[in-house]
Amino acid sequence: MRPLDPRLLRYASAARWFLLVGAVLGLAQTLVVVAFAWLLSQTISLAVLGRDPAELAPTIGALAAVIVARAVLVWLLEVAASRGAASVKSQLRARVLERLAERGPDWLAARQSAGVATLVGQGLDALDNYFARYLPQLLLAGIATPILVLVMLWQDLPSGITVIVVLPFIPLFMVLIGQATQAVQRAQWDALQRLGVGFLDLVGGLATLKIFGRESRQSDRLRAITEDYRGRTMKVLRVSFLSGFVLELGASLSVALVAVSVGLRLVDGSLQLGVGLFVLLLAPEAFLPVRQVGAQFHAAADGLAVAEDVFAILDAEPGGFGTTVASAPDPATIAATAALRFDRVSVRRPAAVPGPELSAVFPPGRLTVIRGASGAGKSTLIAALQGFVPFDGTISLGECTVTAGTPRPWLAWAGQRPGLLAGTIADNIALGESAADPALVRLSLRDAGAGDLDPETRLGVNGDGLSGGQAQRVAAARAIYRTRLHGCNVLVLDEPSSALDPEAEGHLVSGLRRLAAEGHIVIVVSHRPVLQGAADQVVDLGEAAHV
Amino acid sequence: MSEARIRRATLAILRLAQPRARWFLPGLAAGVASAVCAVALLATSAWLITRAAEQPPILYLSMAVVGVRAFALGRSAFRYLDRLTSHDAAFRQLSLLRVGVFSRIVPLAPAGLADTGRGELLSRLVRDVDALQDLPLRVVQPLATAGIVAAVSVIGVWSVQPLAGLTLLLSLVVAGLLGTLGSGLLAARAERELAPLRGSLTGQVLEVVENLDVLTAFGALPARLAAVRRADELLRRATLRRSLGVGVQGAVLSLFAGVATVAALVAGIPVLAGPAFAVIVLVPMAVFEVFGAVPAALGAWREVRSSAERVATAVPAEVPGEIPVEIPDQIHVDRPAARNGATVLELTDLGASWPGADAPAVTGVSLRLAPGDRVHLAGPSGSGKTTLAQTLVRFLDYSGSYTLGGVEARLLPQTEVRSVVGLCEQRPWLFDDSIRQNLLFARDTATDEDLLAVIDRVGLAEWATARGGLDARVGERGALVSGGQAQRIALARALLADFPVLVVDEPTANVDEEQGDRLVRDILTTAAEDGRAVLLISHTSVPDALITARVTLGG
Repeated sequence: MRPLDPRLLRYASAARWFLLVGAVLGLAQTLVVVAFAWLLSQTISLAVLGRDPAELAPTIGALAAVIVARAVLVWLLEVAASRGAASVKSQLRARVLERLAERGPDWLAARQSAGVATLVGQGLDALDNYFARYLPQLLLAGIATPILVLVMLWQDLPSGITVIVVLPFIPLFMVLIGQATQAVQRAQWDALQRLGVGFLDLVGGLATLKIFGRESRQSDRLRAITEDYRGRTMKVLRVSFLSGFVLELGASLSVALVAVSVGLRLVDGSLQLGVGLFVLLLAPEAFLPVRQVGAQFHAAADGLAVAEDVFAILDAEPGGFGTTVASAPDPATIAATAALRFDRVSVRRPAAVPGPELSAVFPPGRLTVIRGASGAGKSTLIAALQGFVPFDGTISLGECTVTAGTPRPWLAWAGQRPGLLAGTIADNIALGESAADPALVRLSLRDAGAGDLDPETRLGVNGDGLSGGQAQRVAAARAIYRTRLHGCNVLVLDEPSSALDPEAEGHLVSGLRRLAAEGHIVIVVSHRPVLQGAADQVVDLGEAAHV
Repeated sequence: MSEARIRRATLAILRLAQPRARWFLPGLAAGVASAVCAVALLATSAWLITRAAEQPPILYLSMAVVGVRAFALGRSAFRYLDRLTSHDAAFRQLSLLRVGVFSRIVPLAPAGLADTGRGELLSRLVRDVDALQDLPLRVVQPLATAGIVAAVSVIGVWSVQPLAGLTLLLSLVVAGLLGTLGSGLLAARAERELAPLRGSLTGQVLEVVENLDVLTAFGALPARLAAVRRADELLRRATLRRSLGVGVQGAVLSLFAGVATVAALVAGIPVLAGPAFAVIVLVPMAVFEVFGAVPAALGAWREVRSSAERVATAVPAEVPGEIPVEIPDQIHVDRPAARNGATVLELTDLGASWPGADAPAVTGVSLRLAPGDRVHLAGPSGSGKTTLAQTLVRFLDYSGSYTLGGVEARLLPQTEVRSVVGLCEQRPWLFDDSIRQNLLFARDTATDEDLLAVIDRVGLAEWATARGGLDARVGERGALVSGGQAQRIALARALLADFPVLVVDEPTANVDEEQGDRLVRDILTTAAEDGRAVLLISHTSVPDALITARVTLGG
């Protein structure tokens, strides 16, 4: 594990700023630590030597000032860390979202959108602790430890050498123990993973267990799983806690060694008390940042893991199309009579069976149904039409050739997943427009078979508040609204009636017929006999069915 | 729930998370020993050095030399011991904690957990339960250790020089109060301002990422991204405004460590000389280092408390009225009808509601299901079809009448109802285990031949063979199994359990349409082979030949 990923500095300028400020504050803190130790040891030794208390007053005053300065620096470093974390999170979040917008939905779909959303949302908060607890200590380990060791060498050579000898043992042992831990962990990993999710598995499956009358015996099973988990985890911990042990031992042993050696040299008079106390106070401070870096290992690991995930997105190769904008057909220039043509279109998918090839003409004023076995690649072809995936062959609308990655002002679409947003139904239907036209919203709802819904109904996140069938119809209405408002040539609905009852489906079919009659190219992907019956043409897609 | 009740319930959960003394005390003792060694290491070193400066015969120092070395070793050894024993205790308690929460979930699940029914919230609940092990590890023990060590040190310093002891005590108390109460207030105020901003940002990000296709297709992406940037900027500005309060805790501790040191200097100079003086001046520094664990412990406490609150709210101690509870003096009528295959299920004007809902989800259902009947229950989405399924297996209570073999279901033990009426759920749960284990719990006496036979009956023989037989794993949450295969496994379980009445809830919800038709046909023909009564709940149409009757729920 690298303690600091250079990409963090590259992608987030706030991180560079924080490192700079942190280094300055760290240096100041180190100087204050030295001053504090020196003033304190001076005061004690002078007092022990029996000096007049009044003579000590200036030193004690200086000590008090240093103490205040130390507190202020501690505070400033934390403030800087907190501000740095907030700004870095903002910058990374903005970059990831920009990247997602550039690369498009298909690229995102290959990366599990739920994970990405969590990462950009709360996941980045792991950087808080990385910045607050780990990075400052890392800086101090780089700045304070060498300075303190130098001061000790200068003041009392044997003590400095003691610390120099002990210090390298700490990382050495930590690496050795880390390797041993990894070996133990690898051996236990699968079992630990399984036992870790065992509780979730039981709680999640509780309804199923109750149906089969098995709920009463599960407590014993849960106890057994957890005990097994404890046994195996403790085996790992026994090794991994050793690294903490080595850290502590290194730090406290060197204090002990310094104290004893200083003591013995004081006895024979070869050292002064002030110097002896000074190096005694500095010895633990030299180890402190190193110990903290070790102790904050988890804060570091979590933060770096999140950063790693972010960089994986930022550094990823464009999976689909580039960002070049080729000639995008403008709806104004496309004749209303233009037909949509697929000429030997197939979608390129890395590491997958090539999809079926489609050649078809979708004339205006016609309702076309595309059908095909599940997995035949219907939705993927629609994604190609939308420009979300690269494809072979040619798609053309009238005289214009359609390329991937260009805007589609002539296309309205509703996918299999309704994809509704928080807001009113009317807001959802007029998505992408600055204001909703109430009459057109009602008309679109009617054509989608959802005339019974009130456009002012407020939906929660993900369209919460509607049943599956209602959400599906609102999504269809949204595409219909766009079709009517912008005079889109093409309306595509992907499985629009899979959750509809026959009555609603009937309304939708007549709505789609009306749109076709108005001269739009209407394309529906569906298995439903009712829709196929109402179609002007049915396109069968590939026989390569995957069950 | 009222606030007082939530507080009581949270407290009960927290009590469940704290290990008993027998497990907890050894860890605490080791932790205290380690911290005492740390303080003693500095005190002895200071004594050794100042005494040595007086140049006594070296013999006088040998005890101190031994002490310094012993404390250095003791500090790290006790610390290692402390971490091992306290983790072990926390894990032991985790087992009790999980079992305790689980046994509270059992009577509630699944309908009483409606709010946590979504997968993500469910794993949140489970994570919260597991996070409670931080209570002994990161809250109670550090606080207890810091308290004990502080007390011991104050007494020690006091016995050398009462005034220095008093100033140390005052510094600790003031630093503790300022550092905890003061910064706690600051943190709480910041959190009150930041939490809604953070929530709004997270929600917007989620919406953009999950609906990237829709937003791109409708040209709404730039506007949405701009909105996210605005939300992000609001949060960032608020965080920066609040950042000044963040480091106060650490600064207060550092400041008062210094105050205690200077106070000891001033108090000690006139009256003490030599080693004792050095000891009382340096001990405060070491005490404050131990005391430095307090802020982190309080931070952990805030997290543990909110986890406990969430668990207490999600898993109420009292079962809501809509969930049926076992009545102690249930009438165990002799039930000749229950198992002999002649069970008739009859509903008259049945209604049911979900906990916390204003209106019943289903009302006025009447139907009769005799052996051999295959009834298709249709109805638009939202008409209460799933509610009915959950009511029939007594996950939800009902109004009106529901009789099994002429006996009111309310009067029968729930397990008895469920031994007669089985349910294939909309999303059958597959355990992260082998196919064998996923079938076997339906009838644990079944032999491998029985299992293979039932797999064959539900049309999975080829699939199971290709996977490597009964030992093939289904993956976490059935990740390696498609929606249709999961339904078939659920059907196989129901056949193994041999329910006289089988309710099948939307088997095609997660299956594409073409496969769905075949699945429905297979379920109906297979399930009915043994004269079983089947209630198929589905919004899609079913061919007449496969069923004996249709019932439609109102829209």
